[in-house]
Amino acid sequence: QHSYSFKSYRCALVCLLPLLKECNSELLSSVLPFQGAGQDVGRSCILVSIGGKNIMLDCGMHMGYNDDRRFPDFSYITQNGRLTDFLDCLIISHFHLDHCGALPYMSEMVGYDGPIYMTHPTKAICPILLEDFRKITVDKKGETNFFTSQMIKDCMKKVIPLNLHQTVQVDDELEIKAYYAGHVLGAAMVHIKVGSESVVYTGDYNMTPDRHLGAAWIDKCRPDILISESTYATTIRDSKRCRERDFLKKVHESIERGGKVLIPVFALGRAQELCILLETFWERMNLKAPIYFSTGLTEKANHYYKLFITWTNQKIRKTFVQRNMFEFKHIKAFDRSYADNPGPMVVFATPGMLHAGQSLQIFKKWAGNEKNMVIMPGYCVQGTIGHKILNGQRKLEMEGRAQNGPLLDVKLQVEYMSFSAHADAKGIMQLIRMAEPRNMLLVHGEAVKMEFLKGKIEQEFSIDCYMPANGETTTVTTNPSVPVDISLNLLKREMALGGPLPDPKKPRTMHGTLIMKENSLKLVSSEQALKELGLNEHQLRFTCHVQLQDPHSDADTLHRIYTHLKSVLKGYTIQHLPDGTVIVESIVIKVSSSAEDSNTKVLLLSWSYQVIIEPLLKKSFLYPAVLANPPLKSDVISSFWVQTLLQFPDSNKHCGITES
Amino acid sequence: GGLTFTFDCSAQNHVTSKLSFTVFYVKLYTEIHKPFSFRYKDLHVYQLEHPTQVLEWTSGNSVCVAGYSQSKNEILELRLPLKLLADENKSLCAERDFKVSHGGFTDGPVRCLTHIPGTRCAVTNDGLSSDLQVWDLGGEESDVIRRTGSIKGKRSASERGSRIAARPSSAPQVLHGAQISDVQLTELASGETLYKLETDSADPLSSLQFVSDTVFLAGCCNGSVYVADTRTSAPPQLSHSPSSAESVIWWTDAAAGPHPSSRRVIRVSSSGQAVVSDLRNLGGAGCQAQLDVQTPGRCSQVKVSWAPTLDDCISVSGFSGVVQIYNTRLWGAEPQEARPLFEHRGHAVSSQQTDDSVPTFVTSHIWHPERPRTLLSAASDGSVHVWDWVDPNRQGGSPTP
Repeated sequence: QHSYSFKSYRCALVCLLPLLKECNSELLSSVLPFQGAGQDVGRSCILVSIGGKNIMLDCGMHMGYNDDRRFPDFSYITQNGRLTDFLDCLIISHFHLDHCGALPYMSEMVGYDGPIYMTHPTKAICPILLEDFRKITVDKKGETNFFTSQMIKDCMKKVIPLNLHQTVQVDDELEIKAYYAGHVLGAAMVHIKVGSESVVYTGDYNMTPDRHLGAAWIDKCRPDILISESTYATTIRDSKRCRERDFLKKVHESIERGGKVLIPVFALGRAQELCILLETFWERMNLKAPIYFSTGLTEKANHYYKLFITWTNQKIRKTFVQRNMFEFKHIKAFDRSYADNPGPMVVFATPGMLHAGQSLQIFKKWAGNEKNMVIMPGYCVQGTIGHKILNGQRKLEMEGRAQNGPLLDVKLQVEYMSFSAHADAKGIMQLIRMAEPRNMLLVHGEAVKMEFLKGKIEQEFSIDCYMPANGETTTVTTNPSVPVDISLNLLKREMALGGPLPDPKKPRTMHGTLIMKENSLKLVSSEQALKELGLNEHQLRFTCHVQLQDPHSDADTLHRIYTHLKSVLKGYTIQHLPDGTVIVESIVIKVSSSAEDSNTKVLLLSWSYQVIIEPLLKKSFLYPAVLANPPLKSDVISSFWVQTLLQFPDSNKHCGITES
Repeated sequence: GGLTFTFDCSAQNHVTSKLSFTVFYVKLYTEIHKPFSFRYKDLHVYQLEHPTQVLEWTSGNSVCVAGYSQSKNEILELRLPLKLLADENKSLCAERDFKVSHGGFTDGPVRCLTHIPGTRCAVTNDGLSSDLQVWDLGGEESDVIRRTGSIKGKRSASERGSRIAARPSSAPQVLHGAQISDVQLTELASGETLYKLETDSADPLSSLQFVSDTVFLAGCCNGSVYVADTRTSAPPQLSHSPSSAESVIWWTDAAAGPHPSSRRVIRVSSSGQAVVSDLRNLGGAGCQAQLDVQTPGRCSQVKVSWAPTLDDCISVSGFSGVVQIYNTRLWGAEPQEARPLFEHRGHAVSSQQTDDSVPTFVTSHIWHPERPRTLLSAASDGSVHVWDWVDPNRQGGSPTP
């Protein structure tokens, strides 16, 4: 039997297409330095192909553009076909608009009816943010060609909620599992698995716990590829403590000089964190100035925190058991009449970007006094009052007033503080240590240089690290183990041949026939393969003609060969048959004279495939090179060919023979 | 002093009132034992993966750090946060993180790193031999720091590392050596030795620096100071140690002010003795003080430095987890106990170190070349602090949290 080792490389083709047409460096430079920590600028939209499945990760919107460029370019995926036919599923990591802002556009305007996955909190909060943004874009800025409220609702109907650590079977082969990512309420990392191949996508994540959220965590799941955000990959973050200290210092300074402090917040997340912070500080410093929060905020926040308490950190969970999230000693509910009260106060009000509602009303009232202060604890989208004042604008046109009407003079102090929670270089290294991926892939919003980080990851973990640019495809070769069934008979026969006992950790050569049929592989004996495939057994016989010079008659030449072989091949059966043939084991040798020259003798050698000819031919100066190269084709038993080189002692001529 | 307080005994629950008294007592105790309430204009706290003993400016807004563990280490060039450097619109700037602008890998520890002014080049020493490594810090097109060469020290087998000083102007040249007889000036491009200090003394060096383009100062661990000119082969001026005690080690720093009168030298010993003398007359009488340090300094960690823009101010670290700033104008001819003008205790207070048996100590600190009261300091737990302190004698207004 011929032996051959079986090796297979299947490629998990992962194409990564951050799908936006242009990167956002232009935006950043125009806004710098005020947006230096402009977290959440840019967008995320990644396409992964794994084991024949196409998965889209996030569907973000670029906040820096007002035209079609803000949405991903879906023509990268398919030129004319429907998205639903091409994509197996879409997964949204968290509710920030740069990760979910293009969702209604994709599902309702471009057209996608396949499954959309996101966690419960993301599903609850995402439509609120989308609606907020729609209002700013359509109602305030008067843009058309944008998704409608109904589209947001229809889109959310297609969403399938995910629980943490719950394995969801998208179809028979594709399964996904969500892990806690910190960052914001409901943020998740996803583990995507097809067969033995897997990918982890982090979305935005945070490896250090804060006052209301825990740290990201993942199993040692050893994915083939870990796709990580790298917004802060070249950053060493200032400590949380210093951020908080500066926040308290600013609030305190303003209160001390008798000013009022407005903190526009989104109902969830940072608002709770800042409330906890101020409450503790007021208690410690024994301050008397009132702190208010707008009532809509409490109801909404309490509602969500009750729903999603498991997504916060341990301390909050404990606190919440004892009392209401907003039962603070120093923080009380706000009434709109309080805004005119004399003396210092602190007010938390929604919305966070000063584009409407209570926060904007209070801002208008307080903007004229330089003793007052507004603290913006997060990023503001273009077109909002928040964005304008963060860019240093001091005169604002207010709507609802006549054209060329009086401008609102912004005299109050404007403070921009970033409390965003992203993983920095250290956090990325921590996550790699946790998940132990085989390859690392960093997706970045800006065209930043990260060669050093790439080198660091490759050195420390001995894995490859990739950083594809927008629209660039990265292909990672995986080496998955392919299970093959072996018949018991074949296994027994192998064992009978002796040798060491099978060890699962050591490769071992097996002899048999590999049958690939209907996506399954099995190794059987050749007799069984013939039987199963209904084929007849064929005998292969190899022949070869060798010319040599010999003046004797044909019979004498044959006899001389017989005597020679007899002397060199001791212990083998060698017969000289009366019909003019010499047989060595099963090799048949005949001699005939050449038609042109009687001195030239032609030797005919013939042997069957089964004969172990090598030692025989070697000893008799017939040296063979036996090559086997079985091409693998579905439903076909491999064919073999053998090439033999022969050399006689008194002939320098070589001749090749092939199977007839 | 002058604290008055009232205690309300009318609490309904006796246990509660007892408890609150205890808490109050603890608070009061700490207040009394604090000499000053130190205040900051800015304070940023960072945590590096590995501690650094190196802090070196490569420009007005970027600084180099490097690890000193026995095997592999990183050299990082960090860009200071915009918020710290912004003068206008500071409040609108939320950017307060360090950015790693360039990084590279070394095979050994980095005990000393000197940036060559006007270039993207740095020279390091591993503290194990007197050989130097030369690095290209990378430019706009690459964020990788690469090793480009090395300079053979005078004695390769010495166990002490070299001190390095870069010549301020002229083509890239470095002055280096592990002991006073080793000191030599080497041109980076050619590796040629341009100058050698003529002396037989084998005293180990604790500091080496240029005080002008050609004149340099070499401070020895025993407290003696040599001043020499690289243009002449004349023997150096020698100033003997301020004390004859054998066990103490001295560190030196010279103020390189524009006027000759501002060129002064400070020497600080491992027992906390500090001596200021005039560079033109090192042997003459200067002012001195006994610094307020708790533990005797370890050999390689103490750092003393003149403030580049504030007159008479020095900073000292390495004795413990604090960085102290002293005003030498208040010192007299006799060594009296001096109180620090400012003390940065952050490294000791907010230490990340898990093992309490080894206290955190400050490994290095450096003044910002232009911003008068901005310093960077690094500690053995990997923390790096950037702080802009407020002079307690000039402060007003309310106390801060």
